[in-house]
Amino acid sequence: MNNDFLVAKGVTKRFGALTALSGIDLTIRSGEVLALLGDNGAGKSTFIKVVSGAHPPSDGTILIEGQPVSFNSPKDAADAGIATIFQELALSENLSISENVFLGRELTNTVLGVPFLRRNEMKQRVAGLLDELDADISDAEAPVGSLSGGQRQAVAICRALNLNARLVIMDEPTAALAVAETRKVLGLTRRLAERGCAVVLISHNISDVFEVADRMVVFRRGRKVAERLRNETTPEEIVALITGAHPDVRALEKAS
Amino acid sequence: MNASVRTIGLNGRELLLLAACALAIVVFSIAAPAFGTPANAATILRNSVELLLIGLGMTFILAMGGIDVSIGIVMGLAAIAVGKLLEGGAPVPIAALAGPLAGMALGLITAAVVVLGRIPAIVGTLGLLGVYRTAIFVALGGQWLSGLPTGLTELLYARPLGIPVSAWIIAIAYLAAWLALRRTPYGPHLLAIGNAEEKARLSGIAVTRVRFATFVASGFLAGVAATFYVATYRNVEMSIGSTLALDAIAAVVLGGTSILGGRCSLIGTVLGVLLLRILQNGLLLIGVPSLWQTVVTGALLIGVLGMEAAAGRLKFSSIGQAAR
Repeated sequence: MNNDFLVAKGVTKRFGALTALSGIDLTIRSGEVLALLGDNGAGKSTFIKVVSGAHPPSDGTILIEGQPVSFNSPKDAADAGIATIFQELALSENLSISENVFLGRELTNTVLGVPFLRRNEMKQRVAGLLDELDADISDAEAPVGSLSGGQRQAVAICRALNLNARLVIMDEPTAALAVAETRKVLGLTRRLAERGCAVVLISHNISDVFEVADRMVVFRRGRKVAERLRNETTPEEIVALITGAHPDVRALEKAS
Repeated sequence: MNASVRTIGLNGRELLLLAACALAIVVFSIAAPAFGTPANAATILRNSVELLLIGLGMTFILAMGGIDVSIGIVMGLAAIAVGKLLEGGAPVPIAALAGPLAGMALGLITAAVVVLGRIPAIVGTLGLLGVYRTAIFVALGGQWLSGLPTGLTELLYARPLGIPVSAWIIAIAYLAAWLALRRTPYGPHLLAIGNAEEKARLSGIAVTRVRFATFVASGFLAGVAATFYVATYRNVEMSIGSTLALDAIAAVVLGGTSILGGRCSLIGTVLGVLLLRILQNGLLLIGVPSLWQTVVTGALLIGVLGMEAAAGRLKFSSIGQAAR
């Protein structure tokens, strides 16, 4: 139980008359990849935005390591160790990998009031992180604009790690990638969890999810309709849960 | 690719500019006997000082995706402050410092309008240009300041360590600009803003502060140029600085800085300024009326941008996601 990183209890989000999320109970654990599945509009993105501080919840509580928290901005969530890697990566293509990893948090030595960059130290830190993630990038000084989609994901992950993220949320990280690249990013996801990070993966790709996720949670119409361990379920069952064809979901939806 | 080259040597664009300078020098030396003399070389260098200072500021402004079309007139107003003080018999050091101070004050106004007022830089500085033009007319009362006291000019004759004061000023300004851009967090922050402002903000960069400081620094450099201008020419004419913004934007863009931000070259700006001043000087000496100077500058600017557009380089970012 002590590796529970984030616990959501009854998290609800209303936008005017529309209830986007209702009563979500969810536990995110360190060292585990949790997949969030569901159709468009099922509430995955809203849930992620609540957890990453972009939307305050209308109701319910969020606990981080047992302590209740309330995020008023993405910065609050980042300070609590939550990093979200969005589909449209917030990287600057014209800057180098190490500049991107440290952007806004550069290491400096102040001489006569002028903050000089500790460039070698930053380079080495980034090279070490890339190496640790087995990211297949040899030069930490290469501009991000010259990298492939998968390599850019690796840079975004490095950035999250460098900010000491303990929960990394990845929004459709493989959506725009070729097959070989997808395998790389899934490998990165796995290694992130092995390092002790909690990882939340949002994906529409069932086979990707089955490859890396330890646990899967299915959202439908703003509610959590199922939670399964990977070795207790099948892709067919998950698809049925997502589309609502599964008897459990039918029963649930009839009841309400 | 560019990232590793830009700090150690010249990239292709910069070598091309160097070659263009050399070619222009050879052609003009043959066409006009007066061109290839040491005296004329000194004239070209002296005429480049203000543009070099203003060009360094413009490099930073363009690199962050901004522009300032009022910068020449800002120098003009600062020069009037220096000139009026000299005319009124103020001590030379006070008059000399008045330039940078006035430039910074005007830079603050530009920053307030463009950054705090959230007005697109092209429109905000165009509005300021309109206001400042009349301010110059009013301040001069329709009369040139001329035959100013020589006190400030005598400072230019000093040669610390055998090197002219103007060269020292340029060297110090260049070194400071290079250090800020390549050795402090300001550089990557500026370039990230120029690439995509919203992403820069998401990365935790103090976007407003960086943009504000950049406009103020550019005003400061224009103010230093103003002091230099008055010291050199000992007069302030009605049309002062009216073509400087065009010259600066042309020189900086020639040097390889992107008009849309995110990419810049300081050495490119220096070469761009030299090429522009060599062309303007050379054309004058082969008998082309000075009226044609702005035609040449404008045509160069449009030509370079046209080539960049054709090469597909006029995009906000390499994956084509414009965050504005």
